Amino acid sequence: MAESKVKLGVADVVAEKTIRHEDADPAPWGLDARLAVVGTEVSRVDGFAKASGAARYAGDQRPTGLAFARIVRCPHAHANVTRVDLDAVRTMPGVLAADETGGRRKTYAGAPVAVVCAADERSLDDAVAAVRVSYEVLPHVVDATEALAEGAAQVDPKRANRGDADGRGRGGGPAGDAQKALDEAELKVEATYRTQVQTHVPLEPHGSVATWSEDGKLTLWCSTQSVDAVRNEMARRFQVPAADVRVVTEFMGGGFGCKFGPDPCDYEAVRLARATKRPVWCMNDRREEHLTGGFRPDSVQKLTLGGRRDGTMTVIAGECYGTPGNGQGGAGAANTALYDIPARGVTQFGVSTFTAHGRAFRAPGHPQGVFALEGLVDEFALAAGMDPLDVRRLNDKHPVRRLEWPVGAKRIGWAQHRRKVPGSDRGPVKRGVGCAGGVWYNAGGGSWRIDVAVARDGSVVVRSGVQDIGTGTKTVLAVLVAEELGVAPGAVRVEIGDSRFPPGPGSGGSTTAPSVGPAAREAGVRAREGVAAVVAAAWGVDADKLSFAGGRVRGPGGKETTFEQACAQLPSEGLSVSGVRRKNYEGFSGTCGGVQFARVAVDVETGVVRVEKVVAVHDAGRIVDTLTARSQVNGGVIQGISYALFEEKRLDRASGDMVNPTFDTYRIAGMADTPEIDVVFMDVANGINNVGMMGLGEPATVPTAAAVANAVANATGVRMRELPMTPARVLAALAAARGGGK
Amino acid sequence: MKAFRYERPTTVEAAVRAHAGGALLKANGIDVLDRMKERLDQPDRVVTLVDVPGLDRVERRPDGSLSIGAMTTLATLAASADVAAACPTLATAAGQAASPALRNRATLGGNLGQHTRCGYYRFASFRCFKRGDADCPVQAPGGVQEPAGIFGIDLCACAHPSSLAPVLAAGGAVAVVASAKGERRVPVAALYEPPARGKASDWVLGEGDVLVRVEVPPVVAGSHRVGYEEVRQKAAFDWPLVVGAVWVAARDGVVADARVWLGAVAPSPWRAEAAEKALVGKPFTAAQAAVAGEAAVAGATPLPGTAYKVELVKVVVRRALVAALERRS
Repeated sequence: MAESKVKLGVADVVAEKTIRHEDADPAPWGLDARLAVVGTEVSRVDGFAKASGAARYAGDQRPTGLAFARIVRCPHAHANVTRVDLDAVRTMPGVLAADETGGRRKTYAGAPVAVVCAADERSLDDAVAAVRVSYEVLPHVVDATEALAEGAAQVDPKRANRGDADGRGRGGGPAGDAQKALDEAELKVEATYRTQVQTHVPLEPHGSVATWSEDGKLTLWCSTQSVDAVRNEMARRFQVPAADVRVVTEFMGGGFGCKFGPDPCDYEAVRLARATKRPVWCMNDRREEHLTGGFRPDSVQKLTLGGRRDGTMTVIAGECYGTPGNGQGGAGAANTALYDIPARGVTQFGVSTFTAHGRAFRAPGHPQGVFALEGLVDEFALAAGMDPLDVRRLNDKHPVRRLEWPVGAKRIGWAQHRRKVPGSDRGPVKRGVGCAGGVWYNAGGGSWRIDVAVARDGSVVVRSGVQDIGTGTKTVLAVLVAEELGVAPGAVRVEIGDSRFPPGPGSGGSTTAPSVGPAAREAGVRAREGVAAVVAAAWGVDADKLSFAGGRVRGPGGKETTFEQACAQLPSEGLSVSGVRRKNYEGFSGTCGGVQFARVAVDVETGVVRVEKVVAVHDAGRIVDTLTARSQVNGGVIQGISYALFEEKRLDRASGDMVNPTFDTYRIAGMADTPEIDVVFMDVANGINNVGMMGLGEPATVPTAAAVANAVANATGVRMRELPMTPARVLAALAAARGGGK
Repeated sequence: MKAFRYERPTTVEAAVRAHAGGALLKANGIDVLDRMKERLDQPDRVVTLVDVPGLDRVERRPDGSLSIGAMTTLATLAASADVAAACPTLATAAGQAASPALRNRATLGGNLGQHTRCGYYRFASFRCFKRGDADCPVQAPGGVQEPAGIFGIDLCACAHPSSLAPVLAAGGAVAVVASAKGERRVPVAALYEPPARGKASDWVLGEGDVLVRVEVPPVVAGSHRVGYEEVRQKAAFDWPLVVGAVWVAARDGVVADARVWLGAVAPSPWRAEAAEKALVGKPFTAAQAAVAGEAAVAGATPLPGTAYKVELVKVVVRRALVAALERRS
């Protein structure tokens, strides 16, 4: 073990800390590290391929002899399949297979009933249209509150729809004596907050192209957040050694948490490819994706926030539930995650409904929980007669977030734009500002290996099984290896998303970059040492006297050469080295903060809300690539605005089927809805791993909806406690506030 | 979609013959192809007007009126100086519809002939009065109502999606329809009919009727005023929640004639006659615009989920009238 003294911290909270680390692992970069590439703006290494259409995603694969498959889905929320007529379908032109799938009882609209495979897409379309299914339609319930009612149809006949109460919730377990704290509270605010079901809507839906070789080896191009998990699951399901399964995700069109394992379309592609002895394509279409591809559970959060008249929050308590669809887990809302409120007692439970399966979705539990919590904080501030920003700063102990509030306030113009009297603007358009915070837990981990190969021509290749969900993982790996080799990131080729490479983590939890980045840095150091050794030998100098920068290698006595020429000294097989992800060190902070401020304009005659500006102040340890990081935050903010104002899976209660499964009716924020987004990164030297990096994907979308809702309240004087804030809901809330509405 | 024979005639007469023979009429296909993919329509033959010359342009005639070919794109309408001069609200409405990419393909004829975007109609797994079911599930308990209409919804609660139709109807435009018997002229105001069970299309044209152009009388400076207002949830690329289009003839500050049309509030474009009555004979003022807005909701029978549209109608009519009042031309 080695010991290194490293300057860690943020702004003026800086301390020198001794980090004990493996000898092989370079010492973490401190605040004073001088880096050439890390922290600059580096364009995505695969940006041109993606923008030009050259990138080939799973569904773009066209192996010779490709057949096409599609799943026939149940249109009822609850039904028994009584008859599936496939005989006629099997004799139709081009049809290769038609099979029933799944059990007799279907418990959500969109459940697979049959699957058809044909030699071409047109034959497939005709065949699917010819499938006749008879159902015995059964009672169902698709709304969480209705599912709790006496006599509601049960998803699991052996178990009540109401799941076990889980006091832990997300982001902060129970603490203290909540009842006692409520009794003693000088101020209390109580309200019910509601959020909607949001679908993931990745631009690229779930799906695969599968092909089996004659000797029984499977190659699967799959849109997945974990090639490793899909490889292992397919090996298990199809009874072949994992070594005989290759899963490739070279490019990925988004997942947001809904693609950690195979979906029915992925299994069917593999099964049918084996059965038909042809490569098979099976991707969800947009409607299937909306119906079955996953969603963020809704929530009903009945909460009381209490504290003292001086603005100190002492207790949060209440009840919170939502439906994760057929199951009961994963519906908790992180409404106790911020501010270390000493007494916490929120009962959380999931409610089964006949609505497919909720899945992890970019910061599970957090956007909805923070929407409720930060709304209540504003209500608490109002009750205390205080500026809500002051209440937050009074109660926030997070080492970075407490520094972020004043930065955001200054950049949004809090003092100037905050309406002292909400709704006092002249004319129908009212403006105001609001803010909210977030937290995330994302220093990464694991023991992942990254391979780096340097050839005698100076070409550098980085390999890992990790896939790039779209956040820039490839680019981050290139930057870190380039930093250590003193070359440009564009000179480093990154090959990932292939289960033949060293296993990488699933892309989730904002852990991907910090899980593989430190291993890439270590591999970069090993590669530099390898090149340095041969150059030093040739020059007759000490290897540790060489420097690598600007594509050149320099040594004592004015010796200098290019990186390529230096590599020419390597043996003919070049250099192959690895880096390993080590355990996290005790760094400056184990969590990320993040605050966002929104300025909105609300037309109180039409109920239309426009977000005019968002200031997003975030921290993620060391920012490796400022450009991709800013892009992450932009995306998080846009998705948050979309959640706040637009997105909503709308189910017809009578059938349980979705009436808006299209891009034009499931509204998503577009370019015209995107405000000016001012992204600020706090410069944090964390020391938690050798780069000091943390993840950013999820924190960026946590506070947005809450900040927008708080801004709407400041603009209009009316608090929106339900998402999305549609014109219908805004008008109803305004009418209720005037005392004239329903 | 089901395989079909694609016919590309080069004359209106040939298109009429094909359409009369049962071919589905297609402009650039934005609506029709969606319906065919979902197999709401499964034609054996599709006839398109894309190869008929001369249908894709705007002409300003000597009397100042516009003659607009059915295949003119919304992008062309939005950018046309002639449209801006003769009927500025048409340019405004066209320029706000959908997205730039869609406006480059969407045509005037297609916009007027498109079917409702009601989710219950669009997906065959739902029941739908327009597709032949006895009732409309939008009105049933638990129906998703927010996009639906508030006028004339006793049988079918859907909302008509066209934002151009109210503008043209208010402006007194006339559709010129070719058929085997020759051309006939149908006011855009009379182009649509109430819902009927099993009838998907909203307009009165039948097989063999081909809309070839729309003629729009000029908005005469000093005599006529027009205004347009729509409320969209998204800032762009969204179906309007409510559309209001007005045409007012005023003399010496007093309204002599007025036409007020609404979109997205009824199964077809909706004429707000009570609003027109509230204007005629009265001074043309902002205060009277508000009175007309209140009057425009006469006869509304909103569902619980569409009550907000009543408020939006009042606002768009008032704002469209105020825009007309303030417009210089």
